[in-house]
Amino acid sequence: MKALRIAFVGGYFCAAMLPLIWLLLTSFKTRDDSIAVHPKFAPTWAEEVAVDGIYFRANLDGYRQLAAVYAGGDHAFFHYLGNSLVIGLLSTLCSVLIGTCAAYGFSRFAIPGGRDWLFFILSTRFLPPLAVVVPVLMMYREFDLQNSHMGLVLLYTAFNMSLAVWLMKGFIDEIPTAYEEAALVAGYTRFQAFRLVVLPRAVPGMAVTAVFCLISAWNEYGFAMTLNNQKAVTVPVYFAGLQGNVSGLPWAQISAGMLIFVAPIIVFTVLVRKHLLRGVTFGTIKR
Amino acid sequence: MRGSTGRCRDWTQYAFVGPALILLIGINVFPLLYSIALSFTNVDLVGGAWKFVGGFNYAVAFKFAKYGAALRTTALFVCVAVAVELVLGFALALALKDRFSGRAFALTALLVPMMLPPAVIALFWKLVLNGHYGILNQCLGALGLGQPQWITDPDLKLLSILLVDVWMWTPFMMLIALAALNAIPGYLYEAAAIDRASRWKVFRRITLPLCAPLLGLAVLLRATDAIKQFDLVMAITGPNDPATQTVSALLYQVVFRDGKVGLGAAYSYVVLVLVLALASVFVRYMSSVQRREEAGAQ
Repeated sequence: MKALRIAFVGGYFCAAMLPLIWLLLTSFKTRDDSIAVHPKFAPTWAEEVAVDGIYFRANLDGYRQLAAVYAGGDHAFFHYLGNSLVIGLLSTLCSVLIGTCAAYGFSRFAIPGGRDWLFFILSTRFLPPLAVVVPVLMMYREFDLQNSHMGLVLLYTAFNMSLAVWLMKGFIDEIPTAYEEAALVAGYTRFQAFRLVVLPRAVPGMAVTAVFCLISAWNEYGFAMTLNNQKAVTVPVYFAGLQGNVSGLPWAQISAGMLIFVAPIIVFTVLVRKHLLRGVTFGTIKR
Repeated sequence: MRGSTGRCRDWTQYAFVGPALILLIGINVFPLLYSIALSFTNVDLVGGAWKFVGGFNYAVAFKFAKYGAALRTTALFVCVAVAVELVLGFALALALKDRFSGRAFALTALLVPMMLPPAVIALFWKLVLNGHYGILNQCLGALGLGQPQWITDPDLKLLSILLVDVWMWTPFMMLIALAALNAIPGYLYEAAAIDRASRWKVFRRITLPLCAPLLGLAVLLRATDAIKQFDLVMAITGPNDPATQTVSALLYQVVFRDGKVGLGAAYSYVVLVLVLALASVFVRYMSSVQRREEAGAQ
């Protein structure tokens, strides 16, 4: 029974890690080695490698060429990475700030229909982007927001609102009300009590919420692709645009770019691993 | 006196929750209402003159064979993906429940795929799944197995997308299943051991029923997400492949390739009704689970 268990977990683990390890290896390969018919999984620094061997010539060309414009593209990878960064960070900042305020409101006041409003906020998460994007596109045309960073920031802020409000409500519910009551008695206004007493205690929760909002904006593809085809193109749209013949794509560069793009996500996943459960269930399960 | 403080508090509470609600109504509710109006017109993506066409788009939507096929593909995708992920994730959680050295590392590493950008990582999967230079077929070859053409064989295309989806989302099921397993009090198992209950009976009578509420939550969350499947389809086969055209892919094709905004809006309404029905089941279920969690915590 125990051997079976180890074999199952070990087998799944290897299978699940294989694509990620392959991604890492491919980023150091030459173009020919990346699409070799014989799998090449051992790096070597030799000048020549056998065509049917297991060795590939390790080099950093994939990373060096990232700064160059790929044939048929308009910009180099780093241009798109910049777009992703600006849009991701700005929308995260907005979602967390607005979401924290709303979460505080729902946590501390008996707002009429509060529970219904909360579930309304949650239900916006389930809208398929492709079902909403048409009217949003028409609206954005009126306000000249399509093909702009601002348009995506606004959209991502709205779509991460459900996550931000629900996660932050969980965190704020855990902050005892005694502190702000004391502050209110001492003559603080509600806003001062919120800013000076509650916010500092909510910072860890805000950091966790920010990580989840950032990852969801960072990974988003549907809206980014349909609303932006010239300016403010994010990395997922850029990579998805590199379609075509598998053997024709510069896999070393693509893998290098993908690794750079997903590295922050992996770091953040490790950092918030204790809160992952909370993050993926909108704060329903807190353990 | 009392009335004035009451009004003051009213104003304050709406100042806190107002911005979030206004944003959601502006960016989510208004577009949905706007698209009702669009679905009754023949407006084109490139703009220009349009006119009111009544229920014409809905009539076309229901008659169009591709739409029924896309609904069936999506339903098949959601059912298979969620079922496989649930069984595999639950099995992993059962196997990883007990402590062992390196457990924290293994768990965190296993959870990484679900955090990755599907559209980006799916492009790399195209290399992994490639029939000639893909590492998957090279591994299968080393084991003496066949060489399926994952991406080009029409019978295997949907399976390839399912494979990537299972790779990404099995960890999600595992994460929630682990939480459910850890919440089962140890004394139940001790009592079962005293009664000499068989492994199977312990699993049937204790483990499964006590995990069921959280697993249900996980299934609903995954289903509402899988029904939107778009990124993987776009990256692996493109939006117009009859073998893998999900509803989202069809919507993309109709609106952005064919330019038929009105028809797209009509389609999306049918989808929305389905999604919102599923979401309302989820929301009800979630509030009951939440109440139970809160009651359990106290």
